Amino acid sequence: MLSKEQAYAIIDQVVQAAEGVDVRVMVQASGSGLTRFANSEIHQNVFEDSVQVNVNLSQGKKRINFSTAILDEAGLKETVREMVQNLEFLPEGQEEPPLVSEPLLMEIVDFNDELDAACDVYKRAKLVKQCLDMLTPEYKAFGAVSYDTIQMAFGNSKGIKRFARVNSANFSALIADEQGGTGYAEITSNTPQDFDVIAAFERAYDKAKMNQNPMQIEPGAYTVILEQAAVGDILQYMSFIGFSGKSLQNQASFLTGKLGEKVFDEQLTIVDDHTNPNTVSLPFDFEGTPRQKVTIIEKGVAKDVVHDMASAQAAGVESTGHSVNMPHFGGIPLNIVVEGGDKTLEDIVKETDDGVLITRFHYMNPVNPREAMLTALTRDGVFKIKDGKIVGAIKNMRFTDSMLRALNSIEAISSDRVRTRSFFGNYYVPAMKIKDFRFTGKTNA
Amino acid sequence: MKDKMQAVLQMLKEQHNVDYADIRINDITQENISTENLKVQQLSTNRTRGYGIRVYLDGSMGFAGSQDFDKMQDTALIALEIAKASRLAQRSPVRLSPKEAIVDHYETKVEIDPLSVSKQDKLDLLFKAEQIMREAAPGLFKTNGSLSFRKEDKTFADTDGSFITQTLYESGGGIEAIAVSKRDMQRRSYPNSARGNYATAGYEFIEQMGLLENAERIAKEAMALLEAEECPSGYFDLVIEPSQLTLQIHESVGHPIELDRVFGYEAGYAGTSFLEPKMAGSFRYGSEHVNIVADATVPGGLGTFGYDDEGIPAQRVPVITEGIFHNFISSRDTASVLDQHSNGTARADGWARIPIVRMTNINLLPGKYELDELIGGVENGLLLSVNKSWSIDDRRVNFQFACELAYEIKDGKLTGKIYKNPIYTGITHEFWGSCDGVANEKYWQMYGTPNCGKGEPGQVAHVGHGSAPARFRNVKVGVADVK
Repeated sequence: MLSKEQAYAIIDQVVQAAEGVDVRVMVQASGSGLTRFANSEIHQNVFEDSVQVNVNLSQGKKRINFSTAILDEAGLKETVREMVQNLEFLPEGQEEPPLVSEPLLMEIVDFNDELDAACDVYKRAKLVKQCLDMLTPEYKAFGAVSYDTIQMAFGNSKGIKRFARVNSANFSALIADEQGGTGYAEITSNTPQDFDVIAAFERAYDKAKMNQNPMQIEPGAYTVILEQAAVGDILQYMSFIGFSGKSLQNQASFLTGKLGEKVFDEQLTIVDDHTNPNTVSLPFDFEGTPRQKVTIIEKGVAKDVVHDMASAQAAGVESTGHSVNMPHFGGIPLNIVVEGGDKTLEDIVKETDDGVLITRFHYMNPVNPREAMLTALTRDGVFKIKDGKIVGAIKNMRFTDSMLRALNSIEAISSDRVRTRSFFGNYYVPAMKIKDFRFTGKTNA
Repeated sequence: MKDKMQAVLQMLKEQHNVDYADIRINDITQENISTENLKVQQLSTNRTRGYGIRVYLDGSMGFAGSQDFDKMQDTALIALEIAKASRLAQRSPVRLSPKEAIVDHYETKVEIDPLSVSKQDKLDLLFKAEQIMREAAPGLFKTNGSLSFRKEDKTFADTDGSFITQTLYESGGGIEAIAVSKRDMQRRSYPNSARGNYATAGYEFIEQMGLLENAERIAKEAMALLEAEECPSGYFDLVIEPSQLTLQIHESVGHPIELDRVFGYEAGYAGTSFLEPKMAGSFRYGSEHVNIVADATVPGGLGTFGYDDEGIPAQRVPVITEGIFHNFISSRDTASVLDQHSNGTARADGWARIPIVRMTNINLLPGKYELDELIGGVENGLLLSVNKSWSIDDRRVNFQFACELAYEIKDGKLTGKIYKNPIYTGITHEFWGSCDGVANEKYWQMYGTPNCGKGEPGQVAHVGHGSAPARFRNVKVGVADVK
């Protein structure tokens, strides 16, 4: 992987070659190893080492972008000069986002050497073997253990520099019996102490053992308890369709015209918080803006959304540091943290007379973003709760429901929160009990 | 570079006694252009170049990808070490199905190199289409357009003696009209949603796409959808256009026939399949009208190539014939489990990923009907157009799709009335079993889907689907009636 000095040297070369126009340069480098297992054996085992330089050139409202993996100085400078020439004839874009000028320097290395030492390919393979040896012959395991180092260096023609290096490990396990009963668990961590693969594997195994002889229920409204992974699934899609300034400006968000209004149950507080120790994130965004903590929902009231430079400029506010270099999305919250309640998930189950416990969802998608209407199927463990106890498994169900409605029917939020994986980074979320959750379809498995 | 690749392969074979190894170099240039409200939104060029080395040692697999061409030998040794680590948790050694050593070059046939056309000309086309939409419907909230072009040079060499080079071109794009009211937002897209349509073709594909010719229509339809009634819920006969049928084929046929899913390779992430090997040759997947092939050879298909990323020639494979399921799509490691040869569908998303089973062009073959005949056979139904939302379970059985709009059919005729937010849902084999007609080749068209996700680490594949409008009986529409 490139050193900080090598990354800064690339930035300086680009800034120098782009003299006369505004330039932003991001040098991303990553080393990623992933060991995948299926049918209780390792079947795919990979490593990649990559570097990509992303350059954004602008002159007034004219903007052009290129990225390249070819890092030789002469080639890089030639590409920059060609792009600068292109700027001359290009029509204008919508915004003229300013360059970040402060602070001049941000360097954060949140790299855990112990985690690095604990996750080499042999240790990953041994962890997998240790898990697989726990299984009785009627069960098979599927999943992955991965370890990633991500490094980002940024600079612009105002002379600022940014550098961050983080590492994290992920593990997921799905355990299945011959009849198709499955259990699932995942963990994500940036310390070896928290990376308890064996405990996660045991959780998945216990759940698979519970997931036997599932009963069929009919579509309709049910009280459900969404485990943390299921809550994380929903929040990922809500973040994409509704928590950005761009989605508000596009009038595509379910929060359109509702900032300042109570939109969800007052138990719900959602913050995008990269400073929370349970998230793995980067302290600045793709435009070099320091990432801000943003309260999106506070006690059910829509408070704010995240921005990149362009959406912030259109809204007449400051960027919150959430650019992901995708102008059609604007900013995206990467580190969703949901405030916990005062009862454990176990207690919430005990206090439920009649309900359905859901492990996670599969293939979620928005049906109507303005209504926050989502659809997905349950997966890897749905259980019937009767008089405070899990009394049996249920076949997978499809829900189609508006989250504006569902998250206004929260009966309880758990005090125990877990890290769940998101598209980028990770979330830290509790379980939720929701009344009248609408199942609209059923399956035979 | 050929000598270097072969030297590394020779080192792996002779000094380390690997079962098999291959090296694949990818050099990809992609250009993305988008406009919004008559302004440039994105103008980017991305270039990536690197190589991946895959090693099988004692039936265990290791892979390493790098951009440093000076360290190809070191990268090979990393892949070898990874394969050694894989042996720690190996129950049955992987066998790769046999193949021939091939030396060849393949290149997409293009009339106009899409990267040779100026950015200005591309922007002019999008601005013109936006202008037509805005003039046709001044009340539109937003218009946008996008174009994408890609050139990929691939070089493949393996210890079997293959050396294959390919140059693949892709072109694609689309336009959108968006209308909003205080309570609603409606979108119409052409030629399809999710940034349009894509093909392995040159810029001529864009010129023939009809962006300007269709701009006025979709602009007016977007506005009309704001005032349209919600699509009713219930059971209806449906005629589904290729702009939606594409994703129906993709999700409920293309993914279930992937042999790696069938064997559980994707169980921990993307899911499995309801299909089992014993169902090949006997399982009734659909009615006798349903004939589907996996065809990597069809000109222009987004899943068209010369050789897959294991060096297997592109093929046309019958998947469903007169409703009966016959063949999976496979790679060398999956085909060998069935003692078969790979049918050439293992593809990787660039140099840093391993080849896995991916759809090529999964095509519903044309039937014999005129579109008017299909519509004429519907007493009370809907004509559905352009996908808006999709979801299906992890075994690919229970699906639900939403479309941009539904045209009402009454007594065998389109009434002119449109509905917004149509949703339909069903069970895969029941749905295909309800197909009682497919329109003829005159209506057959291909759509390219450049965003098919699968695998860990995540991979995105570019795949195609050809179809003609087809009729399905008594399908569940809407969810409003579920209490």
